Amino acid sequence: MKNRTIARYEGTLKVTGQARYEGEMMPEGLLHAALVESPIACGELQSLDASRAAALPGFATLVSHEDAASLKPSAATALIREKAIHFHGQPVALVAATTLSEAREAAKATQASIAARTALTQMDQALDQAYEPAMVGRFPAATRRGDSAKALSEAGLVVRRRYTTTVNNHHPMEPHAVVCWWEGNKAVVHTCTQAIFATRAIIAHAFEMPPVDIRVLSRYLGGGFGCKGQLWWPWMFWAMLASRKTNRPVRLELSRAQMFTLVGRRQETAQDLALGFVDGRLTAIEHDVVAQTSTHAEFSDSTAVYTRFLYACPNVTTRHSLVRTNEPQPVPMRAPGTAPGTFALESAMDEAAELLGVDPLELRLDNFADHDQENGRPWSSNSLRECYRVGAERFGWAERRARSAAKDGRWKIGFGMATTLYPAIRQACRARVALRADGSLLVQCGTQDMGSGTYTALGQIAADALGLPMDKITVELGDTELPDGPFSGGSQVTASIFPAVEAATAKLRASLAGLATTDATSSLGGKPPEDLEFADGMIRSRSGNAGERLTDVLARAAADGLEADGESPATDHQQLAATGMGYGAIFVEIGVDAALGEIRVRRVCGAFAAGRILNPLLAKSQYIGGLIGGIGMALHEQTVTDAATGSILGKSFTDYLIPVHADMPAFDIAMIDEDDPHLPGGVKGIGMLGTAGIQAAIANAVYDAIGKRIRKLPIRIEDCL
Amino acid sequence: MSSASFNYIRAAELTDALARGERAGAAYLAGGTDLLPLWKASLTAPQDVIDISHLPLATIIRAGDTLSIGAMARLSDIAAHAEVKAHYPLVCDAILASASGQVRNVATMGGNLLQRTRCPYFRDAGLACNKRDPGSGCGTRHGENRHAVLFGGSPGCVATHPSDLAVALAALDARIVVSSDSGERELALSELYPLPGETTAPDSSLRPGEMITAIRMLNAARFSNHATYLKIRDRASFEFAVVSVAAALRIEDSVIAEARLAAGGVAPLPWRLEKSEAALIGRAPTEHAFAEAGALAIEGARPLEGNAFKIPLLRNAVIRALQTAGGHS
Ligand SMILES: Cc1cc2nc3c(=O)[nH]c(=O)nc-3n(C[C@H](O)[C@H](O)[C@H](O)COP(=O)(O)OP(=O)(O)OC[C@H]3O[C@@H](n4cnc5c(N)ncnc54)[C@H](O)[C@@H]3O)c2cc1C
Ligand code: SF4
Repeated sequence: MKNRTIARYEGTLKVTGQARYEGEMMPEGLLHAALVESPIACGELQSLDASRAAALPGFATLVSHEDAASLKPSAATALIREKAIHFHGQPVALVAATTLSEAREAAKATQASIAARTALTQMDQALDQAYEPAMVGRFPAATRRGDSAKALSEAGLVVRRRYTTTVNNHHPMEPHAVVCWWEGNKAVVHTCTQAIFATRAIIAHAFEMPPVDIRVLSRYLGGGFGCKGQLWWPWMFWAMLASRKTNRPVRLELSRAQMFTLVGRRQETAQDLALGFVDGRLTAIEHDVVAQTSTHAEFSDSTAVYTRFLYACPNVTTRHSLVRTNEPQPVPMRAPGTAPGTFALESAMDEAAELLGVDPLELRLDNFADHDQENGRPWSSNSLRECYRVGAERFGWAERRARSAAKDGRWKIGFGMATTLYPAIRQACRARVALRADGSLLVQCGTQDMGSGTYTALGQIAADALGLPMDKITVELGDTELPDGPFSGGSQVTASIFPAVEAATAKLRASLAGLATTDATSSLGGKPPEDLEFADGMIRSRSGNAGERLTDVLARAAADGLEADGESPATDHQQLAATGMGYGAIFVEIGVDAALGEIRVRRVCGAFAAGRILNPLLAKSQYIGGLIGGIGMALHEQTVTDAATGSILGKSFTDYLIPVHADMPAFDIAMIDEDDPHLPGGVKGIGMLGTAGIQAAIANAVYDAIGKRIRKLPIRIEDCL
Repeated sequence: MSSASFNYIRAAELTDALARGERAGAAYLAGGTDLLPLWKASLTAPQDVIDISHLPLATIIRAGDTLSIGAMARLSDIAAHAEVKAHYPLVCDAILASASGQVRNVATMGGNLLQRTRCPYFRDAGLACNKRDPGSGCGTRHGENRHAVLFGGSPGCVATHPSDLAVALAALDARIVVSSDSGERELALSELYPLPGETTAPDSSLRPGEMITAIRMLNAARFSNHATYLKIRDRASFEFAVVSVAAALRIEDSVIAEARLAAGGVAPLPWRLEKSEAALIGRAPTEHAFAEAGALAIEGARPLEGNAFKIPLLRNAVIRALQTAGGHS
């Protein structure tokens, strides 16, 4: 496997508009759907009156909890089967009509009568009702190694602080959409989802039908960031029910405003962190997280989990608790847990460095964890120290003292740094490769491309394995007719598909080698298979001057082409001999106009170590995209709930600020190649790494610039004045 | 007719537009960059939408010391206009700090002055808002009010006016030419924007059917050497002002002969800082004088729970704008 820069496989299709997104399907007889939303945040639906709506032009049908009663109860159907209202804007019905504007009018004309109950709309109204969930993702919610209370009482220095982070929404460019229809008892569902097979499974469960009768397609995604998952399913089910009821295809697309309420959010956190030091070494860490979840479902980010791993420390206690509010439900959002968690931990480390009088980078090096202390096993590989060294050198961290609080016009300059980390995980995956007689190769895998480069990665892995140029490769994904592939999330797709595609191509190579070496008429006849290499569309002997075109081998012995399947298992976390984790060191230079409170990020250097990098171009764009998201979280993005009504305020991009071009700093990305013998293919995830760490680096740089320690996100004008 | 539809009427000429505009349920459509989003969000439901964008009201006329800009002129055309740039840089600065290039290519001068508040309660049909629905209450006052006014609010409404251009024009004492079926009248920009009442908050003092046809500035080029528009916001571009300040000085023999200061993001209309202006007259443009003007700017500010930070911000912004405008050129 070579490290190669290859342009996007589907780039041309996208920029020329040939890539059809699932929401663009326009089958004949299509009905458009709109949702009727609850105007209150807590209560019980009493009745729905659609008589006015039904009289409007184009009206086709209305579906509600009554129709959904036919669905099998589960977490995915609860919201649409029950009458309880959990949050402001919760849909109480779906209306379908001939045109979109007719559907919207009909939705507006539908009267919902709701018995209101007192809503709890803010986390801090109910901190006393916090409870501990069983798990945070795949990790236990509470852990304890050693005795942190004792160690804190004996520490020479204790840093004890509260850090808070706000609610963010994912907001991929492409809003959620479904276009669905029934063919007899079979369902066809075009929808933007990060998980076609999980979507198929949940439809099978809800509608009590065999999975083979359901086809889910998601071939192009305009981003996901974690929100194209389970919270979309209820509304998709309603669209499917409307289609079944009318016997016509139905299309539902969420509005930008609905993407603030219906498909998840990054949860709000309040984090209490205590660090204890003796002679500059961490002796104790306590990390306590309170976060919001809704009244209808439970989710906790793994916010304090990374505190268990990052530093060498004998006494570590972490806890997560949740508060239920009548607000929308949180789900994982890009760099879940690690972005808010490292904001707290890496800010506190900076505060500690200041109090200890050491350079923040040195403090981190002094406390480097040379093995996974939580699980008592080695790292599969860990180049964090190399990240620190390379990043610091490229950034010019050594000039920090000289540059700090220097001025550039109205800007006071500040330097800051922080660490980012994310575990390397892997899902089960199947893939198929088919070599045709003309030497072209079809690669198939039922995973998705969120816009992050999965098409390219799949194609590239197969092309390299068989020595074919990219223009001979066709990639198919995003269809449940294809072999089961991984869901797109957790930065694990590349790591998951790699071994499966490698297994499939290895089989294909073996077949080809067999056909050539056992054929006396081939110049490769009699050569040992280990002597063969695949390159430039040929099989060649490494030792002798002999070779043959793949197409010639096929023409002679396999005129119909050759196919092979490959398969690889998921990571079994219990069985691991070593812990796989990707790391990065983020260095930032910011400017703060102290009189006007404005902050601008001027320069970012990220040095990352995440195993083997298949395609530096894709990787760089993932890192930069992650860093931009991180800048948004640090300085701009904030979802606000109106306390009185529970309504989300400013549900548009005019009010929900994300960084624009003018906010972009100069990016310098360094990738440290790692040879990781423990991970299949040596591949770790990269998508999440860039998104974490930068929040603390920016907060630390603000402190460096103006001497103000800001312990909340986002950092706004009022915080710097 | 349902609120989802309206009659689109392309006015043949000004008199035609004025006659139609007077009828109940009529709204003028200029660039449409505010009207149409409001309509899509069910915040306004005009019956007749009268397109005036193509009327011949986009000319820029400089006659003597008067500049007259047609109301239908596009923001980007004004910002790029050589004479406006040379003699009225404050207007160009304010425009270039507004919205995005795409929006400015479509939006008009008249429409910009009549755009409606960005108050998030106003912009959500489900929430209480006296401005949208008189008597329904004000969600902002006891809700999320970072965006709210420091000056000129009432118990009924504390929303700011969003236009940057209006702040610059207020500093330059611009006048607004208004036409209706019954003729033409001229009013000061400040007269265009009424203060909110107990349960109502009208956007403008225009009568039904009145159309802004031109913006006029008298002898305003005298500030061209010492004028600046300072806009403070959470991100570097494409955001309305958290606070803004238009500063214009006329400096004669190293002494401030005239001063104009207007603030945005702090009041229901561009807020002239008259006390600060007065304190500058006859003074040398020094840090000391600027600091005094800054301190006077915030006198009488009445913050709500979430916007007290705008007080020091406004003071600092006034000082910074004066430093920039008062510098040599
Ligand atoms: C995303 C976004 C960001 C923005 N950011 C900024 C910003 O930073 N600063 C800023 O100042 N503005 C900003 N704007 C507002 C923008 O400048 C206004 O929408 C625009 O100037 C309105 O002009 P228009 O010609 O499109 O008006 P229209 O939308 O056509 O009209 C606005 C209103 O004025 C009425 N009207 C229009 N012309 C006349 C007239 N001649 N006489 C009487 N009534 C009339 C219409 O009936 C309507 O009620 C932003 C807008 C958007 C969409
Ligand atoms: S401040 Fe004015 S515009 Fe905003 S909610 Fe109150 S009344 Fe409406």
